[in-house]
Amino acid sequence: MRIDHTHKNWLIASVALLGLSALLYGTYRITGSGSAATTASISGTAPGLAFGVLGFAFMIFAGLLGARKKVPVWRVGRAQTWMRGHLWLGLLSLPLILFHSGFRYGHGLTAVLMTLLITVVASGIFGTILQHYMPRVMTREVTMETIYEEIGHVRVQLREEAEDIFAQAITPKATAVAPAKETSGATDIAVEVPEVDYAAPLRNFFEQEMKPFLERPGARRQALSDAAQSRNAFAQLRMLLPPTLHTTVEDLESICEEERQLTLQSQLHLWLHGWLLLHIPLSLALLLLGAVHAVIALRY
Amino acid sequence: MLFEELKNVQRQPDGAAVSAEELLQLPVFKDVSPQFLKKNPNATTWRHFKRGEIVCREGEFGSTAFYILEGTASVQLASSIAHVKARSIPTGFFGKLTSKLTTRLASRQEDRREDEADRRSIPIDAPVDLAYDHPVAELGPGELFGEMTCMNYYPRSATVRAETDCTMLEMLRNVLDVLQKSKTFRAQLDLTYRRRALDSHLRNVPIFRGLTQEFIDHLRDRVELLRFSPGQVICKQGEPADSFYLVRLGFVKVSEEYPGGELVLAYLSRGDYFGEIGLLGGGARTAACTALDHVELVRISAEDFRAMVEKFPAVRSGLEKVAHERQESNQERLRMVRSVPLDRFLAQGLMEAQSLLVLDLDKCTRCDACVTACADSHEGVTRLVREGLRFENFLVATSCRQCRDPLCMVGCPVGAIRRRNSLEVIIEDWCVGCGLCAKNCPYGNINMHSFSGQMDDHENPGHKKAVIQKKATTCDLCADQKEPSCVYACPHDAAHRVEPRDFFAETLGQRVGRSRRR
Repeated sequence: MRIDHTHKNWLIASVALLGLSALLYGTYRITGSGSAATTASISGTAPGLAFGVLGFAFMIFAGLLGARKKVPVWRVGRAQTWMRGHLWLGLLSLPLILFHSGFRYGHGLTAVLMTLLITVVASGIFGTILQHYMPRVMTREVTMETIYEEIGHVRVQLREEAEDIFAQAITPKATAVAPAKETSGATDIAVEVPEVDYAAPLRNFFEQEMKPFLERPGARRQALSDAAQSRNAFAQLRMLLPPTLHTTVEDLESICEEERQLTLQSQLHLWLHGWLLLHIPLSLALLLLGAVHAVIALRY
Repeated sequence: MLFEELKNVQRQPDGAAVSAEELLQLPVFKDVSPQFLKKNPNATTWRHFKRGEIVCREGEFGSTAFYILEGTASVQLASSIAHVKARSIPTGFFGKLTSKLTTRLASRQEDRREDEADRRSIPIDAPVDLAYDHPVAELGPGELFGEMTCMNYYPRSATVRAETDCTMLEMLRNVLDVLQKSKTFRAQLDLTYRRRALDSHLRNVPIFRGLTQEFIDHLRDRVELLRFSPGQVICKQGEPADSFYLVRLGFVKVSEEYPGGELVLAYLSRGDYFGEIGLLGGGARTAACTALDHVELVRISAEDFRAMVEKFPAVRSGLEKVAHERQESNQERLRMVRSVPLDRFLAQGLMEAQSLLVLDLDKCTRCDACVTACADSHEGVTRLVREGLRFENFLVATSCRQCRDPLCMVGCPVGAIRRRNSLEVIIEDWCVGCGLCAKNCPYGNINMHSFSGQMDDHENPGHKKAVIQKKATTCDLCADQKEPSCVYACPHDAAHRVEPRDFFAETLGQRVGRSRRR
């Protein structure tokens, strides 16, 4: 989600809540009751528990976004409101838990929890930054964008289209430059005229460069993967071919361009959503272990 | 029976070609050139149907017309007379929060929609209309049906079944075309129309419902029945208004010329009318009307029109109201053309849209929450595809735009797709599921939705059989909900339903303003 002026209210509310929490925490540390607490953990005290409960509640709310997305037509608030809550309250949960722990890392389960929380918040911030910028990059760079799930299908179509264009280009030429044979009637000696295959450079290029590129678009060390190298390769090819084949070259070049766009789209899509592979499982683990921690702490 | 006139002709088996000699013995073929009939020996065939046999089914594509020689046939709609209704059925507080939309078929009685057509009859490709409440009618000797299918290749509009043993002539387009030019044949068809359909045709137009039988009888012999070929101009913009027209068959394009080209104001189909603005204003035609396909019109002269509006003040006020609404709408569109000088905007057809689902690609993370929500709202069948035209950083998703120039309406064999006064596209109860509107929509925004239902089993009279019925569906903006599900479910504030002109004018205006400040 893009962080823009529409987040102003959430920002103000979050800063206010953070400020208030910091004030309470500071007051508790400075006042008499905190004299003993300056060195000890405050998690067992009333303010400490309050920070813990609030922080965990924010984590649960943030976690519920996933459940909300599973039921998109439920009229339980607009999805973007849930997303804003997820971002700001999820972020706030970290300082609240730090206040709860008195800025101690702890041991055993609490250490695991703290590690998980920091990782989840950090991955969330990373994801937010990505989702803030990447859509614009994708819009700007991938002008031939298609539906992500359709990319495989489009690639097959591109390959078939390229094969067709290539086949059409070489077939008539092959007939036009059919081998000629001359005979001198008197002596009956056959003179072979060397065949000139004008389409040979195209055939070589297609078989050795383009076909492997279309079949394995993500593979390394392929000249056509890079826009500049691709331009050079096609420019050289044009020089080797008669003008009648230049339209074919243009068509093939545009297929390569589309293929590069699909590759770029796949990469950007991975950036846009790949971080969730870390964020979601760790969030679930955090919520589960957080609940265990709460039960243990309150029970014992 | 007409067949009696063929008593000297030996009955030929079903499917056998009708010879020129046999045809020429029929009075309706009297004016047709024998050479033409001899040159087209297989263009007309004998068809014999036993009682209960199906002659043609609604929704099927065909290319022939039928002329009944002997026997009677019933013409009916087998599809459910119901529209697709998406609604939530909330029970209690929690139910209201969690209810999903259910899509089902609902009749007009169950669910009366705003601006629901007051039509009491359903137009079909036959000399009769079908009653909304009981969509069955009878056809007899001397009647022609399937004209629109034959001339324009539209799907069959109704199912025709032989009620008694029937003999018919099945003819191809070239024969029907020649027949249409025959004075004898035209006279017979016109007579049948005046006798059987003119009443219902006029009364089907809400504002003419107040006409007395006496006046309709007066009009019956005075109206003129006109035919136009595809592309033929019916009236030109600016020429004196001398007639009022009712569309009897086919589709008419109403357009205005403006400096940048032609602006289509409306497509009119059977039951629609035009020409009232010029006559009421007492001046010139305000728009040009052109036949899109084979069009047949009922022409009421200026004299009769004036007599009608003087005698029936309610008709006058009704016509004036409609004329005012049409003029307002036309002015609005012309203002739009003048105020949006954006070639791409026009080229992409966005100017024609009334409501667009726009995705801000700078915000959209391509998570497909909008598509999932749409599918979830409509029982797994999404009515939007996250692909379409791009305009700057906005993607105009493939979802009904409620076009002002709705090409989807051209060709509907039963006139079941139309616009409300609010210009929202509405699909009437008698949609036969032929899919032509889905094919015609240039933006791929109409889907065919399958429903299981029951219909009469013609092989076993008196029994019903389970069938899968298809109905056309478009984006219904999630009726019954405050906000479309696609917009509601977007977590990134990227999906918006917008009025295109205001949205793009504002967005582009801001952009231009910003670049100037820089």
